[in-house]
Amino acid sequence: MNIQFRKDERFRESFSYVNSDAGVLRFPFPFGEDRYMYSVNIEPHTRGGPNPAFAHAFDIDEHYVAECRERALVLADDPGRCQVLPHMMPAQWDTLELLMESFAADYPEHFSLEKNGDTWRWINRPLGIEQTFVFGRPETLPCPPFEYITRQAQGDFTLQDQRDDNLFVDGGMVTTQADWSLDFDIGMSFHEWHGPVPLAHDIGVFDRALRFLLRLQYGHPVRRLNWTMTINPRLDTSPENYPDWGPDRTTVTPDNVSEKVHLRVELQTLFRLPRSNAILFGIRCYLLSLKDIERVEKWRKRLNRVLTTLPPELVEYKGLTRYRDTVLAHLAPRDDGAPLSSGIQPDQTTLPPSALSNQR
Amino acid sequence: MTDQGIKSRPIYAALRRDPSGRRHLYVSAGAEPPPPALCDGPLEGWSVGPPTAEGTRTPPEREGERRFRSASQLKATLARRLATERMGLRLYAEGPEDFLWDVFGIAQEHGLGRQEVFLKQAGTLARRVQCVHCKTLNEGVSTTIVRCAGCGANLFVRDHFSRRLSAFQGVKVDAEQPGDVPPAERAYP
Amino acid sequence: MILDAPLTARVAGIDPLSPTLKRVRFVPERGRFPTAAPGAHILVTLRGPERIWKNAYSLVTPPEQRDSYAIIVRRVEASRGGSHFLHDHLKPGDPVEIGPPTSLFPIASLARRHILIGGGIGLTPFLSYLPVLRARGAAFELHQYCTDDESEVFAGLLAEAGGMAMIHGRTNRRSVAGILADQPLGTHVYTCGPERLMAAVEAAAFAAGWPSGAIHKESFGSAEGGAPFTVTLARSGRTVPVSESQSLLEALETAGVEAPCLCRGGACGVCLTRVIDGAIEHRDHVLTEEERAGGRLIATCVSRARSDALVLDL
Repeated sequence: MNIQFRKDERFRESFSYVNSDAGVLRFPFPFGEDRYMYSVNIEPHTRGGPNPAFAHAFDIDEHYVAECRERALVLADDPGRCQVLPHMMPAQWDTLELLMESFAADYPEHFSLEKNGDTWRWINRPLGIEQTFVFGRPETLPCPPFEYITRQAQGDFTLQDQRDDNLFVDGGMVTTQADWSLDFDIGMSFHEWHGPVPLAHDIGVFDRALRFLLRLQYGHPVRRLNWTMTINPRLDTSPENYPDWGPDRTTVTPDNVSEKVHLRVELQTLFRLPRSNAILFGIRCYLLSLKDIERVEKWRKRLNRVLTTLPPELVEYKGLTRYRDTVLAHLAPRDDGAPLSSGIQPDQTTLPPSALSNQR
Repeated sequence: MTDQGIKSRPIYAALRRDPSGRRHLYVSAGAEPPPPALCDGPLEGWSVGPPTAEGTRTPPEREGERRFRSASQLKATLARRLATERMGLRLYAEGPEDFLWDVFGIAQEHGLGRQEVFLKQAGTLARRVQCVHCKTLNEGVSTTIVRCAGCGANLFVRDHFSRRLSAFQGVKVDAEQPGDVPPAERAYP
Repeated sequence: MILDAPLTARVAGIDPLSPTLKRVRFVPERGRFPTAAPGAHILVTLRGPERIWKNAYSLVTPPEQRDSYAIIVRRVEASRGGSHFLHDHLKPGDPVEIGPPTSLFPIASLARRHILIGGGIGLTPFLSYLPVLRARGAAFELHQYCTDDESEVFAGLLAEAGGMAMIHGRTNRRSVAGILADQPLGTHVYTCGPERLMAAVEAAAFAAGWPSGAIHKESFGSAEGGAPFTVTLARSGRTVPVSESQSLLEALETAGVEAPCLCRGGACGVCLTRVIDGAIEHRDHVLTEEERAGGRLIATCVSRARSDALVLDL
């Protein structure tokens, strides 16, 4: 499979971001039912499943090159977005090994990995990188191993150290986040890290998720979907830069709502790492404009229903308060209330032209 | 200030002697003696004289007692002490929240874990607040909203707490509607 | 790494180390094995003429060794049969199925010093620790307790793995309490071996004031028998007897029931099965107090019935 990368996309200021029709149809739409509530929605991350984005250990799509460039811009501005505590060096190498081996096996036309004992040669064709280094020797790479490889991956990553029957977020590369700060949260336990999330604590979601993850086995990764909404195709919605992007939430009008408002989905994957016994948590971010969501009949209707019935605490926590009504005023006339199939699959294989769907 | 419902904010229990420990060290940011629940056996007690003492120290009243001129002096001495300590120690700390987690950080650096350190908040409830935007640490914050000493943003003090930084998180309160700053209330006396 | 099927491998060599110890080396049928954690174990499926055994063994090979895995197996008289088969029938070239290497005995990431205490064949997980601790420049000491006539075998294995170990034979041994006394803050102890040794290590560490989080025991393979009972499988209506020398899991396997498992020692939680009726004697290390009291889940690899019969959701 040869991915055509869209190299000129921009996720800031002038914004330039487009999904191909295939890109729209492979979007991991997060709502399998008409109502949404927190649950321990964790399933085995096996190849396949209801969405092509689940086909590989780590999904790479047409935005790969542009997202890696965006990550470099964020890091140049704020190096604290990548931090790993000193005791996590074995987990850094585990991550590098896992990502390089997965990329090379899953996308051989884009990535190659050759090993000669401890000497590895890594080729990343889309980014034009060739690197020979000694596995286990950080000084043979241009930057620490975790940063090195996650600069060449889409989505955020954190490293969870397991000790005292808990998981501690002891490292991460976090540049495409939904409003949480690695610099502030690094070192936190599982419950502290999730402290700000409303409602879920009280129904025991984090207790159960933690107990499950403490038993996560090597070779058997798991995944779940999480979501929020973002104004403009902006990847870096960090608390650090909230003064820059916060005002966007006041700019949504009936005329621009379908272009400005994006559904933001995180494909979260969790891998047990071997040498460190840590867990690598991948948080792969997908953005799809309301305009593109509308082209999928089922998704358009379901999004309307989910947003209509969303508990007020979640509306507030996800930052939707200022523009949810505008979104609903746009979607409601486009939902006839007909029953929808359960599951996240789009139920169609082609899309109407986006201009047409706008006139309905 | 009502509970913001954020679960990272520590909840402190009264200090009790952990009978599984072999040696017990109590450090306090104040001048009060250790709570009786700790004194059921040998206990070292370190304390700090009040600022009104102006650097003078009252002599220890009992075995194992030690007085410091300031909390920073106590913390520096603690670090040197822990560097030579052996397994079996239990450390108890009492004082304002920033002191507690500074002590915890020193303890962790020297190999003590969460099972070996016990903390109890006492004295001022004022908070250390990290501005999430410019990373400045604002000390002694007693209000719900504070103007960041670093970047000037009006920060809402979230209940989200980092034990590593001994700090709460401050987020620009009017980021979405600049100028829309609610009045600050005194909440953390 | 997504491993959705068992690893297919064959026996590359079998070295007798002593009259009761053999080292078995496996090589992958194709490609390379996955990176194994230090202290990892594998579940080996052995297909004998009459029955199948699934046994868990510690890997003695380090993480970077991916062209072969090795285990060391003691021939046990009271064994469930797996070690007999391995010692008496398995030969080079035989195919075997191996589960992904599982880590239930990891090296503590924040430890500032590591004390490894092995007893007899319980040395095996530490053989994969040693190269890793050395490469990380970690402070550690290893103490191996064994009978005098096996001192030499274990000394040889330790020398291959890089030495730095103290062997305590029957006649000349240092007490566990002596080893654990006066250790610096941040020291962790790891022990693997006979239950008696592990209990002694734990008791000595607690006596010296160590917190439980600094004490690590490799607890798999400790399944013991008990009173016989019967188990009814609700979905098929079948009834399976569990004898006094058999675990519930073994009884299910003998009856041809596909039951999930991984560590076979009550540590990983993979075998947890829903109980519809009957009283459980919990022997696992996985369930919380709350879950035990609830009585709705059983770790089939170690736990048994307190009543005459159990009904399982299988």
